[in-house]
Amino acid sequence: MLELLSNIPELATLASHATHGHGAEGAAAGAAEAAHAVGAAIAGSGNKLFLLIPLLPLLSMALCGLYWAFGVKSKLPAWTTVGLLGASFGLTILAYFEIAAPGVTQIVHGFRWIGIDLSPHQEGGLELIANFGLYLDSLTILWMLFVTGLATLIALYASEYMAHDVGPGYCRFFFAFSLFVFAMSALVMGDNLLMLYLGWEGVGLCSYLLIGYFFTKPSAVAAAKKAFIMNRIGDLGLAIGIMMTFVQFGTIEYAGIFEQVDAIRASGGELPFAVKAIPLLLMVGAFGKSAQLPLYTWLPDAMEGPTPVSALIHAATMVTAGVYLIARTYPLYTLNPTALVIVAWVGGLTALLAATIGMAQYDIKRIMAYSTVSQLGYMFLGLGVLSSAGAAFHVFTHAFFKATLFLCCGAVMHGFAGQLDLRKLSGVWGMKGWRIVSVAMLIGCLNLAGFPLTAGYFSKDMILAEAFVTPGFAVLGWIALITAGLTAYYTFRVWFRVFMGPGEFEPGDEHHGDAEDEMTAEDGHDNHAGHGGHGGSSFHPHPPKWAINTVLAILAVGSLAVVGVYFIDTEHHGWVGGLVHDSTAHYESPFVHHGAAAHEIAGAHGAEASGAELAPGTFLGFDPHEALFFASGIIGAIGILIAAFLHGPTGFGGLFIGARTEAATSRADGLKRTFAPVGKWAERKWYVDELYDFLFRIPLWVLAHICYLFDRFIIDGIVDGLAKTPRGVGSGLRPSQNGLLQSYAVGMAGGLAFILLVIWVVL
Amino acid sequence: MTLALAAGGSEIIERLHYLHPEMALFAATCVVMVLGLSKSLAARKSAAIVTGLGLIAAAWLSLRSPGAETEALKEAILPGVMPYAKTLIAVMGLLALPMLTGVVDRAYERDVARGRAFDPLRATRGEFYAFFLFSLTGVMLCVTADDLIWIFLALELTSLPTYIMVAMSSGRLRAQEAAVKYFFLGAFSAAIFLYGFALIYGVMGTTSLPEIRNALAQSDELNPMLLLGFILAIVGVSFKIAAVPMHFYTPDVYQGAATSVAGYLAFAPKAAGILVLIMLVSVLGWTHGATGITLPAEIRVTLWVMAALTMTVGNVLALLQDNVKRMLAYSSVAHSGYMLVGLIAGPGREGDAATSGLAAALFYLLSYSVMTLGAFAAIASLEKRTIKGEMVEVELLSDLNSVCRTYPAVGWSLVVCALSLLGMPPLFGFFGKLALFTSAWEANEKILVVVLAINSAVAAFYYLRIAAAALFEERDEFEDRLALGPAPWRRLTAVAGAAGVVGLALFVSPLLRGSGDATQLGSQQTFIAGVDAENRPAQGIVNPSIAATIRADAEREQP
Amino acid sequence: MLLAVSDLSVYVPIGILVLMAVGFAVANIALTLIIGPSREGAVKGQAYESGMNPLMSARKRFNVRFYILAMIFLLFDVEVIFLYPWAATFGQMSPQTPEGAVFLGRIMFFLFTTVVAFIYAYRKGVFRFD
Repeated sequence: MLELLSNIPELATLASHATHGHGAEGAAAGAAEAAHAVGAAIAGSGNKLFLLIPLLPLLSMALCGLYWAFGVKSKLPAWTTVGLLGASFGLTILAYFEIAAPGVTQIVHGFRWIGIDLSPHQEGGLELIANFGLYLDSLTILWMLFVTGLATLIALYASEYMAHDVGPGYCRFFFAFSLFVFAMSALVMGDNLLMLYLGWEGVGLCSYLLIGYFFTKPSAVAAAKKAFIMNRIGDLGLAIGIMMTFVQFGTIEYAGIFEQVDAIRASGGELPFAVKAIPLLLMVGAFGKSAQLPLYTWLPDAMEGPTPVSALIHAATMVTAGVYLIARTYPLYTLNPTALVIVAWVGGLTALLAATIGMAQYDIKRIMAYSTVSQLGYMFLGLGVLSSAGAAFHVFTHAFFKATLFLCCGAVMHGFAGQLDLRKLSGVWGMKGWRIVSVAMLIGCLNLAGFPLTAGYFSKDMILAEAFVTPGFAVLGWIALITAGLTAYYTFRVWFRVFMGPGEFEPGDEHHGDAEDEMTAEDGHDNHAGHGGHGGSSFHPHPPKWAINTVLAILAVGSLAVVGVYFIDTEHHGWVGGLVHDSTAHYESPFVHHGAAAHEIAGAHGAEASGAELAPGTFLGFDPHEALFFASGIIGAIGILIAAFLHGPTGFGGLFIGARTEAATSRADGLKRTFAPVGKWAERKWYVDELYDFLFRIPLWVLAHICYLFDRFIIDGIVDGLAKTPRGVGSGLRPSQNGLLQSYAVGMAGGLAFILLVIWVVL
Repeated sequence: MTLALAAGGSEIIERLHYLHPEMALFAATCVVMVLGLSKSLAARKSAAIVTGLGLIAAAWLSLRSPGAETEALKEAILPGVMPYAKTLIAVMGLLALPMLTGVVDRAYERDVARGRAFDPLRATRGEFYAFFLFSLTGVMLCVTADDLIWIFLALELTSLPTYIMVAMSSGRLRAQEAAVKYFFLGAFSAAIFLYGFALIYGVMGTTSLPEIRNALAQSDELNPMLLLGFILAIVGVSFKIAAVPMHFYTPDVYQGAATSVAGYLAFAPKAAGILVLIMLVSVLGWTHGATGITLPAEIRVTLWVMAALTMTVGNVLALLQDNVKRMLAYSSVAHSGYMLVGLIAGPGREGDAATSGLAAALFYLLSYSVMTLGAFAAIASLEKRTIKGEMVEVELLSDLNSVCRTYPAVGWSLVVCALSLLGMPPLFGFFGKLALFTSAWEANEKILVVVLAINSAVAAFYYLRIAAAALFEERDEFEDRLALGPAPWRRLTAVAGAAGVVGLALFVSPLLRGSGDATQLGSQQTFIAGVDAENRPAQGIVNPSIAATIRADAEREQP
Repeated sequence: MLLAVSDLSVYVPIGILVLMAVGFAVANIALTLIIGPSREGAVKGQAYESGMNPLMSARKRFNVRFYILAMIFLLFDVEVIFLYPWAATFGQMSPQTPEGAVFLGRIMFFLFTTVVAFIYAYRKGVFRFD
């Protein structure tokens, strides 16, 4: 904590300098770079073709809605969605070559969405403008590449996964799916904060709809509500942040905001608190959407949704919206470095906490959910320690390997009738038809565990190194390093328990697709490999078919292949780093550079800034960038070995150190007895849900009841009294409507006389 | 007089094209009247189609009517009113037409189909549509009129056919009673405003409205007799809009008439009345009072009392009704009160429709027409089977129970229209009310705004009762069975009304601007509400200091 | 600014008209009293009520055509009355001027409306007494 406080002034100076550019050729160059950092030469009016990127998913949504209305009972919605999302992905690639590759920024104007002249009687007054327009720079394109790409693949996967629900449910699923992609595109591509907010709420809505997809299941409904309400808390922060932005900057368009941020940075001077509060408020929104402390508890519950949804929304894309928000508004964060300190700490602590909970869970999807929370924590840590490139790279690699992992879990769940308990599944590797799933799962696990030379290894490493480099964050660096070990452990715990060892299973209770089962049995594809299966005499697990296998293969290969991008454009730490460098999220600390020269530069900057020594941090005396390649690799390997020792089966499946012979028990059980309370606490998620219940739900419940009583007896009493007045007046007037012509005529004449009387009296 | 008119002959030829929409309607009337007597069923049935074609032609011609840009109209009371108001009337007529199908001759046509010889004397279909068109022609003439005599004739042309429409709308005695009441009270009110017109003529020596306006503009004092004349004229004409104290007939007549005709009564005479009232008060202008930006005090008090009472009486009496037709009748009374608020507020700042009460009143007329026609049409679409097995029209609130489930299209249309009448955002009615609120606030009629707000709240109660009955109430088996009426076209009006209420909300600003242009006054009088415009604080919500600093900094950066 | 009429001579024609109307009625009654034979009788002593028996129930049914015909008569009666002053004025103006054309056009329009009314009445079967 002390360290945190002492960091604030340092970071403040640091932030004011970081913008002076990575080149650091001197003050003049710095000024030029500042312009580069934000303006980035906005090119032309933009290519209107790119408006189709968000609009194609919208079209897909409309079509699925029509199918829904017309009761289509085929896989048409899936193919429509896959086709249109694929087209959208194609356009994104086009956009990559037009925008991201040359490193330009385009603003594509669609139409005037909102334009409110707030001071209509003044010339050049304030106007709230929010266009349906796109702000396309390399950061946007980076996000869109994996959003549309993964969405296409996952839609393809879902076409098979949801096949048991063909009919209205199928249409509804792809309706919400397409709407989600539209909303996500609006969020990422919008050229103003309001459009981001539109997308933000849109993805929240879709998340709600899709988590609650099985709306007859109470737990799914509860999870959907929890996700929605938790997100509302964050959204409130975001909404206020956007309003504050408008109030302070007079615009909500990125281009305008960044321009003004440039001007503010150039002019220096003390900023009012209202401006400094903006990043803090936006951050709250980001924490809600990206499931960070203290708003993370919705994400594990969100696993009630269909697995493709978990993979796309709750692992790969939507939950990274928070990271995107902070990266997009990075220039605002440069105005208040305290915000970044908070971001870093929240990220680091979330990573650790989620990892500890993940270690003790039995539901494999839930473990993946906690790992998502944990990895998101890494990303925020990366943002907080000024490594936006590292965070973005981790988002990118994480999207691939986490989607892979989820889809593998989904395949298992699909095949074993909803069974997700790792104590009831074992040896999937050895079962017929499950090899592709197993290999994909292994690749995903290696990535997640940060096994050396995988993509996850490099991206996590960038963040870890930066945490040690940036002065004052060494504690967080250590936390993140320990978390990396824990991650490796719980990831491989799943692997060793579910995929290795003796083939054994106990099917879950969702016997969907019975007809399909019978068919496979007739075809002779009896996959009943589990000899010790408990209730499986009539149950045959059905291995995935071509759609799921194709998608898994593509994703697994992709997860492996993205490691390659690390070696492209090495000047900026890989291809992603290059993309981030070209965008407004570029914010490089002076401490990144290797070697003595960089240290010198950094030192010079530090001296210039505050007159104090601001040397980059080290990792036990070594340059973190190099040392951590080894340190994190070793830690990861230790984690895997512990997992193998505790959960691995005998033989090579457990790396020859495991001893598990059946699905339900392992060496960890004994260990757990030793650490009984801790293990139980971790299993019960550190009682955070209960704590929230106690801290918020119960007081609110009490307050609500007090309000209810107040409302019931006092407010209602007054209101009812008031409400009786009009009725009383009406009853008094009623006799005037007696239906008699002559009395009506008298009434009319009398009324006229009354008016004349009033005039006479009043005037 | 004849010579005077003859002297203006060439001028009259020039101005003949003002009347093109009316002529189209008249031509259609002539055809329809005769078609309805044809022996051939197809020809008789085509009467409604010809009516529709006439209305379409009138709407098209109305769009092309001369507006404010016409030189000859520069001195008119409202130079730009014709295209907007006449199009509104024709389009609303088109909207009302499907609702009015199947009102007359249903039993007779059934007999004829069974083999009874056709007797033109007994068929009333042609007359019904002809009266409908006559009455719409009258409403349009109210827009064209620039003379007290014209106004009188146009108002009577609007009303007389409606008296007969009420009488012929239903075979029941109740309809005859309603028609007789309506006729006598209408004649009484005509006597009142005609007396008012006579007084005005007596003082001014002319019946031409622009001439009266110009003469008044030059005199400082207003003759008390003239004011009395205007008060009588306003109170008398307010019979057409069913404002207190001329509202007594409304519930009885609406209840007695067939629902479709009641729906029509809620639109046509009201449109005529409100347009004439706008014109009459515009003659006086908003250049009087202590501040020089209000109506003459006597007229303002008259309208003020009428508006406040109309809103209140309409709403509180509607609260007590179990009969939907009576409820909607009182609701129409209340809405007239809302529109009167716009008249008191006046024309607002020049070129700013958002502050113009006249624009708000005209815009409210549009929104009110759409939603009230939709609501009446929804009710007119339904029938119930009584214990005796007769099919009678739906009347009681409880008849509507759970209609959203049995007939979703009709039920939801009714719910949407009721919510819009209540002023629920984002429906069309909300924007109508919003315009009235803002204009009255701008004109500093704050008490009236409060009265309007309280009344809106009271009104919510009974509109929500309609919505709740249609949506939530259960229908027990003892209740009369609900059925769709024999005139399926009526559902078109209901659905179109509901769609309009939702869809037109997207075009609020062009429509409001249009009604602002339509109600620009023809001469000098424009309320300069900007008396304190300079002193008023900027309305922006920006913290000016920082935004300005930032902008200044940014400018300094760029040489 | 009341319309002040100082010279009462403008009312002379109206006065003559009133005198003529009253005189006509008075003269008729007087003449019948003077030159008519005076025979009494039950039927003759009845009050005249459009040819109906005035001593029965007042709620007697008339043939509806009676009213219709009466109204059609009124229609054409009014038309004739309207045509007279028009004709009187039209003689004073030249029909070649626009004013004359408008003047003619108006009465033609008026006649057109009566023709439409006539067609309507005919189609309605007003003139059939079968």
